[in-house]
Amino acid sequence: MGEAALPRDDSATPPQAAARRRLGLRAGPLYSLPMLTLLAVGFLAPLIAVIGFSFSEPRSFDWLAEPTLENYRTIFDPSNTVYLSFLWSLWFAFLSVLILAVICYPVAYGLAKVFGRWSMVITLLLVFPLFISENVRLYGWVLFFIKAGVLDGTLRALFDAGIGDFLFTPEAIVFGLVYVYVPFMLFPMTLGLSMVPNEVVEAAGDLGASRLQVFREIELPLAIPGIIIGSLLTFVLAVGAIAESKVLGGQSVIVITHDIEIAFTYSQNWPLGAALAVLLMLVIGVLVMTVLRYLDLDRILGRR
Amino acid sequence: MSFTRRDFLKTSAAGAAALSAPALLAGPARAAREKEMNILCWEGYNSAEVLDPFRSMHDATVKAESLTNDPTMINRLRAGETDVWDLINVNNPWARKVMYPEGLIKPLDRATFEPYFEKMLPGFEPPYKWAMSEDGSELLGIAQRFGPYSFVVNTDKISKATAEDQGWDLWNDPANAGRYGVLESDDWNVFDIFLIAGINPFVEHSDADFEAFDAAAKKVFKGAKLVGDIATMNQALISGEIDFHLTGGTYSASPARYDGFPEIRGITPLTSAIPGKGGVAWIEITSVVNNPQLSPLASQFLEYVQAPEMAHTVAFAEGTFNPVTQMGQKECFDLFTADQLEAIQWDSLEEDMARSAEYDIVPDYDRALDIMTAAKREASGG
Repeated sequence: MGEAALPRDDSATPPQAAARRRLGLRAGPLYSLPMLTLLAVGFLAPLIAVIGFSFSEPRSFDWLAEPTLENYRTIFDPSNTVYLSFLWSLWFAFLSVLILAVICYPVAYGLAKVFGRWSMVITLLLVFPLFISENVRLYGWVLFFIKAGVLDGTLRALFDAGIGDFLFTPEAIVFGLVYVYVPFMLFPMTLGLSMVPNEVVEAAGDLGASRLQVFREIELPLAIPGIIIGSLLTFVLAVGAIAESKVLGGQSVIVITHDIEIAFTYSQNWPLGAALAVLLMLVIGVLVMTVLRYLDLDRILGRR
Repeated sequence: MSFTRRDFLKTSAAGAAALSAPALLAGPARAAREKEMNILCWEGYNSAEVLDPFRSMHDATVKAESLTNDPTMINRLRAGETDVWDLINVNNPWARKVMYPEGLIKPLDRATFEPYFEKMLPGFEPPYKWAMSEDGSELLGIAQRFGPYSFVVNTDKISKATAEDQGWDLWNDPANAGRYGVLESDDWNVFDIFLIAGINPFVEHSDADFEAFDAAAKKVFKGAKLVGDIATMNQALISGEIDFHLTGGTYSASPARYDGFPEIRGITPLTSAIPGKGGVAWIEITSVVNNPQLSPLASQFLEYVQAPEMAHTVAFAEGTFNPVTQMGQKECFDLFTADQLEAIQWDSLEEDMARSAEYDIVPDYDRALDIMTAAKREASGG
């Protein structure tokens, strides 16, 4: 603010620099034109379409023919139980983030500080499953967990005791989310931990800090940006996940994305689906913005 | 180097030309539609086995998109895609009750196509109700695949006779909670939940009917072990996770049966709330879309799939296996092996079809679907 208020004297600037600045001003928007076009067509247009549909007549295909709040009224109607789907999605995402943080921290620590040249191999092994479609991997787990499947069958053959009911339960959904989103938590976390200077840890040790103190007072605060980025990524992805609840969960829980899908397919109620999607975006947006307010992106990207 | 306003305009013009190139290309492509055809269909008609010979025969580009529910396909046409598609393949009521009255499809030439109906299985003789317009004057499509579609059991756990006899009450028996699955096929599940509630799905419903429907829906989803796709249902039946599931029939059970699990069997109950019928069946009607630039290949394709070999290929195209009306011709029937006949439950097909009401439109489907979706949601988490 203060800088902008300072008086400027352009006549004092060399003509070349002034030309460059002018060029910069023009070339900037010009060079960004392809990206802006792509964003406008591929990102903004669908978004506007969805928002517009959310204010269209229920079960109509006419975009904003007669704008109405009916869809939102339906969602907020006390007799409507769609809030349950929102809560399930948020709860699953929260649980997944929590479990992933606990599972990934030691691995991330290893990748950043311990494994040395093996880190690359381990990273590759962790990235490898991403080359296979998520659905295929999830169906693979179904065969693994299903009654008389790989796990149950083996346990029965060896110990005469199966695994009981695990597949098609909410627990199986959380398992699926945790499994699918490991890389999205692990790699930002590794980045965060690799930003903790070894010297600081050593200095703390020299000054008599215990391992727990080093963890709590040095590593965790310094690595927290990476952890938060990982958590945000996994949270947002997990809230929007659908395959895990459908394939591993056997739809034992209807998550919000599934409700949106039903609205767009079997119900043919695009406006209602759009309203649900807008609300989901809002919920996630508010959560992400709240977290980002406490986060310095420049520091995470190592610019400071 | 600097960008002038002139340069900018030049660049923009080039960009605009690039963006409009597809539109320019579309011109000649449209004119040349005798070499292209687009089909909107259930899986099977989009398979290479069916399409490749037709493509090479006509040196044509044939595109097919497969979807797994009728309302979505119809709505694609309603949303303005009548100028994209040449053929649409959906279940029986849509052509005469919805698509033709709404001007989405065109009638076929009766003189060309009715002789094909004469060679079909008994029951499909012309004029075949579902292929005709409501006033009976126009032929709106051609029938090929069909099948009874009520529910599926593992006959090692529940015998065919018991299942047929108990029928929809299998879901009303509290002891069966946790023993069954529900196929993700929401439009059909609406029919079945009405039937479980003891109500005919294909009539106007009262508030009391909807209360009963709601209670039945809650019960069904609360007791369901899982809800999923066909592969998941068959896998769960074979592994013993579940003993039966709705909705299902030859269409969903045939892949498992053909794979060597004949105990997985589609069942048509002896009785139900539909007068004189126990279950529901579907018959696909493939129609010509009311496309302003209709490909001449569309009606040729309809004739092409009538040939005995091609009808057999359609019956056993990838995905699911189904009886076809052309089995009424000996040349077609003889192409089916004993295993294939076993897979499509040929032994009981005639009686199952006779006991099934034909798929129809539920007048208050939207309300029923909303209630069912809410019931599914409330059953979340067991």
